[in-house]
Amino acid sequence: MKGDRRYRLSPLAVAGLRKLLEFLALLGALLTLLFFLLRVTGDPALVLAGADATEEQIAAIEAQYGLDKPLIVQYLNYLSALIRFDFGTSLESGRPALDVVLEALPVTLQLTIMAMAVTIAVCLPLGAWMGIYQNRASRRVASLLVFLAQGVPGFVAGLFMIQLLSVQLGWLPSIGRGGVETWILPTLTLASFLIPKLTRVISTRVSETLGKDYVRTALAYGASPRAVLWRHALPNALLGAVALIGSQFAYLVSGSVIVETMFAWPGLGWQLMQSTRTLDFPLVQALAVFIAILVFAVNNLTDLSFRFLDPRLRDSGVRR
Amino acid sequence: MILLSRQLSRARRLSAAGRGNTELVAGGALILLLITLVVFAPLLMAHDPAASNLRNRLLAIGAESHWLGTDQLGRDIWSRLLAGLVWSTTAAISATLISLFIGAFLGLSAAASPGWPRTLIRWFTDTVIAFPGLIVAVCVIAIIGQGWLPMVLTLGFLGWPVFARVTYAEALSLMERSYVTSARLQGVSRGSILLGHIAPGVMPTLLAMTAFNCADMLIAESALSFLGIGAPLGAPTWGNMLAESRQYLLRAPWLVFAPGIAIVVVVVAANLLGDGLTRRYRQKGPAPLL
Repeated sequence: MKGDRRYRLSPLAVAGLRKLLEFLALLGALLTLLFFLLRVTGDPALVLAGADATEEQIAAIEAQYGLDKPLIVQYLNYLSALIRFDFGTSLESGRPALDVVLEALPVTLQLTIMAMAVTIAVCLPLGAWMGIYQNRASRRVASLLVFLAQGVPGFVAGLFMIQLLSVQLGWLPSIGRGGVETWILPTLTLASFLIPKLTRVISTRVSETLGKDYVRTALAYGASPRAVLWRHALPNALLGAVALIGSQFAYLVSGSVIVETMFAWPGLGWQLMQSTRTLDFPLVQALAVFIAILVFAVNNLTDLSFRFLDPRLRDSGVRR
Repeated sequence: MILLSRQLSRARRLSAAGRGNTELVAGGALILLLITLVVFAPLLMAHDPAASNLRNRLLAIGAESHWLGTDQLGRDIWSRLLAGLVWSTTAAISATLISLFIGAFLGLSAAASPGWPRTLIRWFTDTVIAFPGLIVAVCVIAIIGQGWLPMVLTLGFLGWPVFARVTYAEALSLMERSYVTSARLQGVSRGSILLGHIAPGVMPTLLAMTAFNCADMLIAESALSFLGIGAPLGAPTWGNMLAESRQYLLRAPWLVFAPGIAIVVVVVAANLLGDGLTRRYRQKGPAPLL
């Protein structure tokens, strides 16, 4: 290949394009899976029309969705509609599926961002403290508690918190979305999905960093332990740790499905549960596509921002 | 006599493995206890877990003949907990085994075949791992239906990437070892190197991962039931019990705590076992707990 300078892309752009292509391939695979599962497991017209539809309604649905055409034509139509962001109308409400999704998106964003903030605020100091003081008795107690907390699934932690903070003590509402007081329990519940695991990871990372050669060298040159800790060890250890939090976003989105359903927050996850329960497939597809886009965007934005924060990653290819 | 001494030495080796490895001993003991409960569950149930008795609704813990109380339909909670234990552990283990086999197969294949198969498998693994699994599970189960088998299959077919990734990384590093090189130089075929030398070397890591993964699958399974799409409604599973308890938070808090604590016990047991196995087989395990 002759390398024409003008057409050579930066490694970052190549990595970005590759990621985008990979994402589109995954999205296509997911939608293909949903399409064929829906057709293999039953008559989609029946599913789309709902359980108590009349013969005419089923026939109308069949004509509307082109279900009388061959399978391959149906599949191509389906894909081309999705590429044009035409998700159809919600069967339950009759509104465009896209509108319903865009209405739910801010709710999920609010919940996940708040939970992320709480997770970082708890995990970074706690994990760093546990990583620095390896041999203190209080650290050992803390790490035992973190281990036990890791055994409590997020939704169980949420139910326990509802029982304690809202039923027994009456401090917080147990359901719904309104003022700030209704935000606390959902945020804490979603944060509890990640806090134990991340605290453990950060503490290992900090203690590993403290054993690195450059730390020993700095200490040998007479730098005070405090300066070494704050100037060298912690920034290095925490940078990687924060990048890890970004990569856990997909897990957080899975958690938000549970939390939104628990607290009746009308976000993407709540809508997804509602629409699968009523078999509102146009809406399910729209939600699945948007959640996929959201996760992809967040993963790659955190990836990108750490490329600029961490000089070692700058100009490197795809980070694995 | 030989058999006895062999067994004795095996017991001695086991106890040596346990020494200084609190996690392994505690986790192993808890898991043994849970296995006993699963095996003898039908005998230990004081009542039919599905039998409702409206005269005994919402009895508190310590009630006569219902030591963990009863739920909103007067069903015995202890019996329902046992039934849920059988349901959840069998589901978690089956789903984990499906993931393990798919993951180990793909991981070994990727390690053994450089070129496009490896690229393809690694790409597939990376993309599936980056996607929120619960969302896919919800969509798939909504289409194929609820129940034990659909749930196990869905979870099993979504959970393999972690196994594939670790198997691939471990197998690749084992291939650099001199005993593998010497086997190759002696003309041992690629297939038997893979199955006879690489696969056994990957096993210890996979064993520990299997324990952790069982815990994750159990959490996923009860979360799906809690959302109302895993187990059929009314079936005695922990997720269902937790979901049903939400209407009786004020009157019957034990309806939350009984299944909630049950899940925590099983997950902690599996995590302990996983940590213990990791420490047993690798020098560089997680820091000891105590």
